[in-house]
Amino acid sequence: MSEIYDIGYRHYDGPRLGPGYSTRALTLHSLRGVFGLGRPARSKIIPFALFVIMLLPAVVNIAMMALAQQRGIAYSGFAVVMQAVVAIFLASQAPAVVAPDLRYRVLPLYLSRPVSIVEYVSAKVAAMTVALFLLVAVPLTLVYVGELVVDMPGPPATGEYAGALLMALVLAVLLSVFGLALASFTPRRGLGVASVIVVYLLSSASVPMVYGIFAESGNESAASWAWLLNPFWLVDSVQSWLFNTPPHSIEGTYPNGPASAVILVVLIGIGLAALALRYRKAAAR
Amino acid sequence: MHILATEGLTKRFPTVTAVDQLSVTVGPGVTGLVGANGAGKSTLIKILLGLLPPTGGAARVLDLDVTSQGAEIRRLVGYMPEHECLPPDVSATELVVHLAQMSGLPRTAARERAADVLRHVGLAEERYRPIGGYSTGMKQRVKLAQALVHDPRLIFLDEPTNGLDPRGRDEMLMLIKRIGTEFGISVLVTSHLLGELERICDHVIVIDAGRLLRSSAIGEFTQATQTVTVEVDEGTEPLAARLAERGQTVSQQGRMLVVKVLGPETYDMIRDATADLDLCLIRLEQGRHRIEDVFREEVAGV
Repeated sequence: MSEIYDIGYRHYDGPRLGPGYSTRALTLHSLRGVFGLGRPARSKIIPFALFVIMLLPAVVNIAMMALAQQRGIAYSGFAVVMQAVVAIFLASQAPAVVAPDLRYRVLPLYLSRPVSIVEYVSAKVAAMTVALFLLVAVPLTLVYVGELVVDMPGPPATGEYAGALLMALVLAVLLSVFGLALASFTPRRGLGVASVIVVYLLSSASVPMVYGIFAESGNESAASWAWLLNPFWLVDSVQSWLFNTPPHSIEGTYPNGPASAVILVVLIGIGLAALALRYRKAAAR
Repeated sequence: MHILATEGLTKRFPTVTAVDQLSVTVGPGVTGLVGANGAGKSTLIKILLGLLPPTGGAARVLDLDVTSQGAEIRRLVGYMPEHECLPPDVSATELVVHLAQMSGLPRTAARERAADVLRHVGLAEERYRPIGGYSTGMKQRVKLAQALVHDPRLIFLDEPTNGLDPRGRDEMLMLIKRIGTEFGISVLVTSHLLGELERICDHVIVIDAGRLLRSSAIGEFTQATQTVTVEVDEGTEPLAARLAERGQTVSQQGRMLVVKVLGPETYDMIRDATADLDLCLIRLEQGRHRIEDVFREEVAGV
């Protein structure tokens, strides 16, 4: 026989952990949100479908290596080839990370706790970065494991793989900073999705236009700068400069030297500044 | 011991002074903060949470300074905002567990506390459903639960009865009273309705346009003026005149006379006066005095 007792209110005298713990917990919570974990099933469809699409070329690559002893997409070019999928993932999931807290005014519930606005934004950027990194790094790692198992002729492309992983992280930081900044300025989810995708399309569409104009007038070196308008080619050009990988631009080369790396750092800085501005305003509300 | 104390606290915005030279102390228990909309209640709470720097003066919460020790204050207090603040697509349980972690509780403790607190505020099975489908009353309970989940020593409740129907209002008020007594957590609760605060508060602070109008124990409010309401069939004016003659304070409110009770002799005088004037006494009623009346008088006097 069991009885239910009303034991009344109990006080909590256990540990209260510091801001490091809260920030990690918020990062994990946001990361779960990106993939729709702990949310209704419909929130899981898009992120997981895109993840599967990212895995398909990896599977094809492994099959080609196993059956035809041939390499498919190079590690260094994977992100550029799959850029549309990565961009759609960013556009559809970045609003899920930042928009609800702004739109439904959940932010005051965080700020009335020992969570500072800097820790809040850092956790959100970290969560989106990890998600994008996983999106690119998991297929790369799958191919690499496949390459080791298949035992291709010649030494495994470990260096290129490691470089591609590092650049995947850099790309993830750049994309998440910009994606979150755009999404935070448009707290309605649909608008957030649209604004991120529009900025990506503009940056992509402007590349062939600018490139074409300069290439036709015979100014090849000026034309090469056009590639840097698109974040994926920008990161690829940094990779090309750092690791001497072949450029994965559609035609032509990238500008020589560290210029693209400088642009990359400046862009990340601009994105962070935009986030800081946006959240300083949101916190004051 | 003071739970919170302000000294000449001032907050000026470019166009308006929200808090003006406010000096007030609050002890343990349930304290009501009363004022019309825009009186500066929410601004005051934001300052006390250390989220808004004051323009002048000082404030201490749980003996911590609001400008330099905001983070420590926010570790020890809970806050229930006035506005809607709940994401619709997560369940109450998930949200409250998450926010407990944001207050520094380890995950298992956060789960236990969330279950406990949600039970105390009266959310049963529905706590596993997404918040989007909740009624206003249930949402207010979730907002209260998240303010309590880390077992704070003091909670700020900003207009907790907003948007509730009369029954929901009563339940919320009883819950707040329990928090102050049974749970042993001090409460600062704001409202623009005095009537509901007098039922649950030990102490009431009245502010208007950011200035302190009055701060006193609830007993003083209701004891300040005892009145008796007299209704006679005809001859209200002669009765009023007669009573005034004998040194009573009389005011006419419609068909009724409100007489200030100076002592037991007041009742005798009313009885004698009606008898002398041969009036038909319909009603003699102990004044149902509300702090609202005090508030009205004081606003009129300012």
